[in-house]
Amino acid sequence: MNAEQKPNAGTWGMITAGLKKIGFSPVGLVLLGIVAILPLIPPFNQEHMIRWLIMGAFLAAQAAAFDFTSGYISVVNFGFAAVLGLGAYTSAILANKSPVLMVQPGISPWIGIWIGAILAGLVGLGLGWLTLRLRGIFAAVMAWFVGIALMGLVRNLTDLTRGPLGMNPETLFDTAANLPYYYVILAMMLVVYVALRLVTRSNFGLAFKAIGQNIEAARASGINPTKYRVINFALSCMFAGWLGGFYAHYFGSLTPQTLMHTSKTVEVLALAYIGGRGSLWGGMFVAFPFVFLIEFLRSNLTELPGLHLVLYGLLMVLVMIFYPNGVAGLYAWVVNKVKSSRSKGE
Amino acid sequence: MKEKTSRSIWEKITDNSAASVVIISTVVLALVTGLAAGPSQVINSIVTGGMWALLAVGLALVFGVMNVPHFAHGESFMVGAYVAYFVFSPIHQSLQESPNALLAAIAPFLAMLVAGVAGLILGVILERLLFYPLRVRTKSGWVMNAFLLTVGISFIMTNGTTLTLGPNFRGIPRYWDVEPLEFLGVRVAVDRVVAFFVAIASIVALWFFLRRTRTGRAIRAVSQDETGAQMMGINLNFIYPLTFALATALAAISGASLLFMFQAYPTVGLKPLYFAWYVVMMAGLGNVVGAIVGGFIVAVLQTATQQFVGIAWEDVIPTAVMIIVLLVVPSGIFGSEVKGVQEQ
Repeated sequence: MNAEQKPNAGTWGMITAGLKKIGFSPVGLVLLGIVAILPLIPPFNQEHMIRWLIMGAFLAAQAAAFDFTSGYISVVNFGFAAVLGLGAYTSAILANKSPVLMVQPGISPWIGIWIGAILAGLVGLGLGWLTLRLRGIFAAVMAWFVGIALMGLVRNLTDLTRGPLGMNPETLFDTAANLPYYYVILAMMLVVYVALRLVTRSNFGLAFKAIGQNIEAARASGINPTKYRVINFALSCMFAGWLGGFYAHYFGSLTPQTLMHTSKTVEVLALAYIGGRGSLWGGMFVAFPFVFLIEFLRSNLTELPGLHLVLYGLLMVLVMIFYPNGVAGLYAWVVNKVKSSRSKGE
Repeated sequence: MKEKTSRSIWEKITDNSAASVVIISTVVLALVTGLAAGPSQVINSIVTGGMWALLAVGLALVFGVMNVPHFAHGESFMVGAYVAYFVFSPIHQSLQESPNALLAAIAPFLAMLVAGVAGLILGVILERLLFYPLRVRTKSGWVMNAFLLTVGISFIMTNGTTLTLGPNFRGIPRYWDVEPLEFLGVRVAVDRVVAFFVAIASIVALWFFLRRTRTGRAIRAVSQDETGAQMMGINLNFIYPLTFALATALAAISGASLLFMFQAYPTVGLKPLYFAWYVVMMAGLGNVVGAIVGGFIVAVLQTATQQFVGIAWEDVIPTAVMIIVLLVVPSGIFGSEVKGVQEQ
């Protein structure tokens, strides 16, 4: 999607130029269109397939938000899942009506999701500030510790969250059908991607990359690392919290273990890395086929529990060692090959 | 471990305000806990401290020599626990049929030994199979890449264990069927005492190996200056696998010696991993001596949290303390003088 395109005249050129501004190439748009109509076509219109698609879109949006931090400013946010869980729990507690818990605000999930996102964004602001002085591994470990602390809080504040027993928040729609949820999460995924793409296309993106590559050189060029790192964390965490809100009100069940655990961060990290660091779209592209592969393995090889996760990890390790550029790097390589062969032909 | 910093640990502590503050407050905390809950909690802290120290030493060693922030250290612990279980329980079974006092006494040590050897082999395999190719290919950002690689290893090993052995808990009630020991009026299970002494003996053995043998000196040389060590004829392709194998073996031994507390199951390594990381982050990444002291500090903190706040908070409170430590002294209270720590 980052392919350089010749400025050709006509409506087609104008459309592609406009799309490029929000981060879409024609290929990307076609893929998006396919994903959007997929749940209407058999065999994908079965309910369990639509659930897989929802998981795909959910993971895709997470991968983009995660890559925004790890791929641009080179700080791996190891507390990503915990921040996502924070958004989910905030929204769930605000929507709570059951008298089992201490507070029953009963706010509509449609509003609560936004409050959860804002709170997660504020935590991200704090996290960005906490990791400011730290580099590389120290920042990752700091985010990890904050994540552990957040998860411990959610587990222990049983009056608010029922702790390890988990909550059963209200759902967004009064229907058992999955299709409406799919279009909600697809729209959310698009918003996350386009928003992050607009930011990275602006001067901010340049500043992020500069900080990620060499913080001292960036400072010497007049970039204030403090400001950009905090903004980056806040944005990424805000979207994480927003997506968490969707999770809460879609599945209707929340436990700290299934949502905030470090292994959840690792799943997103694996996707973002397989997709290609610093591309935003790589992880999104990988997420859909990946969820299908994994769910297929899980439902067909029930006598081998955990095989899908082993494959997940193996693929991540292999990509990290042998092809660190990931799918996005492969795409860029192919595009370059095609271009150079074309220019030779002319 | 560096020669230029070979001042005694005592001098380092007295020179260093952060370290003195932390150590004094730890001693006060230990005394308060001891007064409030009796000497049993103090003994508890010491025993726990020994095992956190053993785990953290391996972590510090791997970081100091190879610059690998090891996230899969808990999985080495898990492997040790499984190996010890599979060695010990058949022996235990046969002892039920034909009692043999000598075998009953040495069987647990046999289990720990086999676990240690398994750790050595696993360490060599992991280093050759994964870290070696990564080292050959990585041009920049080694620390972060290595960290993420260990994250992947941890993911594969936990889920691979679930796949092959299932999610079941495999544990033993105790290693030795004998009466608990009396100490300061406190009854301490023999297993705990032995686990503590196994930890101390392993640390001392490692210490002698690093200080007194030629290979050990070579390891320390690599941790100080990789290029210089290479020019002196030290073969990095021998030192790296050896270091990684040693660290893995230490973790496996602690997993084996604690089988009576931590039953073997796929994610058993998580809690030991958390605490080992608290220790090394507090003591300073790669600081082996600091890790020993840090193990006891974290154990006191943990015991005090259990005593005064509640057992459910035992990872929240230490984490909060570690966050503060990282904020105030990011390189740890005993300092981290390892190359590449500040690498992006």
